[in-house]
Amino acid sequence: MFNQLYESFIISFKAVFQNKGRAFLTMLGIIIGILSVSLMGTAINGIDNVFNETLGMFGKNVLYLQQFPWFMGNTEWWEFRNRPRIEEEYADKILERAPTISYASVEASRRVTLSYKEKSSEGVDLKCAGWQSAYIDAARIETGRYFTQLEDEHASRVIVIGSEVRRLLFPNIEDPVGQYVKVNGLNFKIIGVFAEQGKVFGMFSVDNMGVIPFQTGKAVFGRSWWLSVSLKIRDGADPAYALDEVRYITRGLRGLRPMDPDNFAINQQEAMEDELDRIKSAIGFVGIGIAALSLLVGGIGIMNIMFVSVKERTREIGIRKALGAKRWVIMMQFLLEAVIIAVIGGAIGLLLTILLVGVVKKFFVASLSLELVLIALLVSVAVGLVSGIVPASQASRQDPIEAMRYE
Amino acid sequence: MTLLKLHNIYRIYRIGQVDVRALNGVDLLVDKNEYLSVMGPSGSGKSTLMNIIGCLDTPSRGSYELDGISIHKEDHEKSDTANDDELAYIRNRKIGFIFQTFNLLPRMTALHNVELPLIYAGVPRLERIERAKNALEKVGLEDRMYHKPNELSGGQRQRVAVARALINNPSIILADEPTGNLDSKTSQDIMDLIGELHEQGNTIILVTHEADIAVRAQRVIHMLDGKISEDNKKK
Repeated sequence: MFNQLYESFIISFKAVFQNKGRAFLTMLGIIIGILSVSLMGTAINGIDNVFNETLGMFGKNVLYLQQFPWFMGNTEWWEFRNRPRIEEEYADKILERAPTISYASVEASRRVTLSYKEKSSEGVDLKCAGWQSAYIDAARIETGRYFTQLEDEHASRVIVIGSEVRRLLFPNIEDPVGQYVKVNGLNFKIIGVFAEQGKVFGMFSVDNMGVIPFQTGKAVFGRSWWLSVSLKIRDGADPAYALDEVRYITRGLRGLRPMDPDNFAINQQEAMEDELDRIKSAIGFVGIGIAALSLLVGGIGIMNIMFVSVKERTREIGIRKALGAKRWVIMMQFLLEAVIIAVIGGAIGLLLTILLVGVVKKFFVASLSLELVLIALLVSVAVGLVSGIVPASQASRQDPIEAMRYE
Repeated sequence: MTLLKLHNIYRIYRIGQVDVRALNGVDLLVDKNEYLSVMGPSGSGKSTLMNIIGCLDTPSRGSYELDGISIHKEDHEKSDTANDDELAYIRNRKIGFIFQTFNLLPRMTALHNVELPLIYAGVPRLERIERAKNALEKVGLEDRMYHKPNELSGGQRQRVAVARALINNPSIILADEPTGNLDSKTSQDIMDLIGELHEQGNTIILVTHEADIAVRAQRVIHMLDGKISEDNKKK
């Protein structure tokens, strides 16, 4: 039986290669189908990876009280622009009143240039954060330490730098902790370096950053207009409940009446996940739609070519049956031919995907997983089986006498 | 020992509204190692008879037994026929075919063509090649094993077909007009080869309409209108 399967395989393989041009044209549908399935999967995988690698820097179970929501939806931005500012004292007030919140820290960001001797790093994202951010932010310290409550309260000129800043300013220095960098002409002592976090969408580094104590920032740069309050939800507390609590406390701080809409936004990582899920399912729908259509067309093409193949080889079928080939042997021969065409088409589609992903990777996230390769190949096999079964069973039922007479 | 038992065989085709009786009550017994030729004008039913003996077709009525295996049985109302796959098995193990049009697979070498029945019998590759080579040597084609049919002459092609018919040590060899597509010289060669097979102990049934070919057999039957009209045994 294995013997005959092997023979059928060889026969089918030869049959495909005897008609290379025809087989290739037939494959086109499958190639395009598999290409779109795998490109779609690749894009979705890529987005997932980005989320896992880089968006993890937003702390889990953290609420961000801000003027703007992260995703505005259909609302116009100026409606948010006229909202009142987030105030520094909100952090302490919310922490005091909300039992579900364990830490609160106020934050402001600005672009600055950091320099060390003649080297400088431009466009550094400098965060001025309250001391409690040590317990809120997800960023990990690689060497050195974070600043303390005392350093924040005394507006000490200390800084924790990102790995990109370290690479640019200290290419030759093993451990920059203890060195001084200049910000706005003032010396800041480096007390720690963050671990590398990667690039968002593979394009820009989030490691070109630094963190200084909030009070230091206020002393050096003056009042900031754009504040954000990070709130860590207490372990074990219900995040939805915590969100409500923060919302009502903030409404209270703002003196809003029951019917007034919120004039602030409470953002969280989950909102970003929701947004990404929406993008992912949009890509998924489009991709699956294109893939299903082209696989359908491809499958019909294979079925058509298999009918032609069966017709062409009617005499051969007759001879084989006369010599003792059973139905399943003939069936297998043609079924395998259909599957071989489909799988070669699928493999070409995958190959094209790999090439495309290689190019795309330079501009956008993409990653091709082994799982995806297997799925694509399985889909090809399935298309081959489905489109080959009718022609193959037609072939296997031929009457040997009639078939041998066929010219 | 009786190898073939055909009793009251009918084969009726329905063409449109009309029943055509290709075989109209045939009784035939063939012994082991008999050399039988079947003659008759076209339309007499000789090809139909060969198809039924060769298990390529089944009778509409009657009973047929080959080498102790019942292919088609009929008692009163009920008939019992071997199914498609069972027929394929019997063709593979018990019958060697030699056709007028050779019926070789055009894209395969002579060797592979001879191997085919062994593939369907599930014989392992190495043994298959060994046996196919021996069979080709027997018919004098040891130097043409790797040629494809279109690189061989008509006589050589028919020799390949003979080798293929022999490969599974069949109970019976059916030759349907084996010289129909050959010139007289090659026809003689092929008939000599078939004569040798008979001397080696094979049972042979030959269909022909050429009297000088038919007389080589020990026994000649004539068919007419779906019936056996004459049955002559040489002493």
